[in-house]
Amino acid sequence: MRRTASMLLSHAGASAGRRGIPQALADVLVCPLSKKPLRYCEATGSLVSDAVGVSFPIEDGIPSLVPKDGKLLEDDSEKSEQEPITRDSSR
Amino acid sequence: MALRASRRLASCSSHRRLLLPSQAQASCNPTVAAASAFLHSHATSFGYKQVREEEKSRLVGNVFSSVASSYDLMNDLMSVGLHRLWKDRLVSKLNPFPGMKHLDVAGGTGDVAFRVLERVKSVGHRAMQGTLTDTEEDTHIYVCDINPNMLNVGKKRATERGYNDEHCLSWIQGDAEALSFEDESMDGYTIAFGIRNVTHIEKALSEAYRVLKRGGRFLCLELSHVDVPVFKQIYDVYSFSVVPTMGELVAGDRQSYQYLVESIRRFPNQEKFAQMIQEAGFERVEYENLVGGVVAIHSGLKL
Repeated sequence: MRRTASMLLSHAGASAGRRGIPQALADVLVCPLSKKPLRYCEATGSLVSDAVGVSFPIEDGIPSLVPKDGKLLEDDSEKSEQEPITRDSSR
Repeated sequence: MALRASRRLASCSSHRRLLLPSQAQASCNPTVAAASAFLHSHATSFGYKQVREEEKSRLVGNVFSSVASSYDLMNDLMSVGLHRLWKDRLVSKLNPFPGMKHLDVAGGTGDVAFRVLERVKSVGHRAMQGTLTDTEEDTHIYVCDINPNMLNVGKKRATERGYNDEHCLSWIQGDAEALSFEDESMDGYTIAFGIRNVTHIEKALSEAYRVLKRGGRFLCLELSHVDVPVFKQIYDVYSFSVVPTMGELVAGDRQSYQYLVESIRRFPNQEKFAQMIQEAGFERVEYENLVGGVVAIHSGLKL
């Protein structure tokens, strides 16, 4: 099941260009403040923590998950349901 | 409990020290007060300077942004190449296995991460005669550092070594005091020459405990305290006279290296640090001195 998920993710990545973050990161990354799951926001290319309403940037392919660098979400459009990060446990 | 303690005492070598359970449990009020006073003093010290707690991480950040590009070279010069052996020893104690999820904190330039990877590959190949197994593919090393300059140096080195970094290496900017990894997601946690720079050591230790799986190993390689009589004097002269001058000549930054040698002296000694690790919840805490205590490798297990 897990291999299927990662195959689908990499296939999607190959056809649609760089999408989301690698599965190995998605499997373990959480919000550094709330320790709850993060959501990838394709529009801004950032990781969003809905639990605390903060977004964290990804710079040069490196997620920047330092608490003080998080940006408070003001914009409603960033909060909409987009690209939830798939996890093994949710399947 | 007493029997186990005496068995441990019997197995102590001259270099290893085990923290006996009874020592930590006898924490009466004066000890607790002393411990929190000490931690407060670490949080507000930048080497020998006194700073506000909020300032410390910014000042440390400046140090590492400044030294990032010459970091590896300076390590070789200051330790006369010995840091390579120390890191080899650290990874050897970690005992990496194929399929493991490992977190290296404050490991920006990748020294420990690359070693873990090489070790896993060699273990895998010896077992399977060169074919890549499923478990070997699952091996993943996460390198976390608060400083993006250090991570960029690491990423570049990874490419130079031919690592397809998404396949088995990930680089994340994060804070050791507030890690962005799920509870119980890691088989191993290492921090090499990093914990000294953290403002709140106890937070870093409890975060390490949180992210480790049950059965996971914590290992810390850090500059420590030398007690050996004559050697201590030589080491002090070397630290305070030679190192900052080297920093000025090679990295163009005397102050950062002055901070480095001062921060070593301000860091808790081997016993004190072992106690802190135990207070974070780790068991079977022990440490090994290398080069008479110039560095120590502390380890613990999350049971």
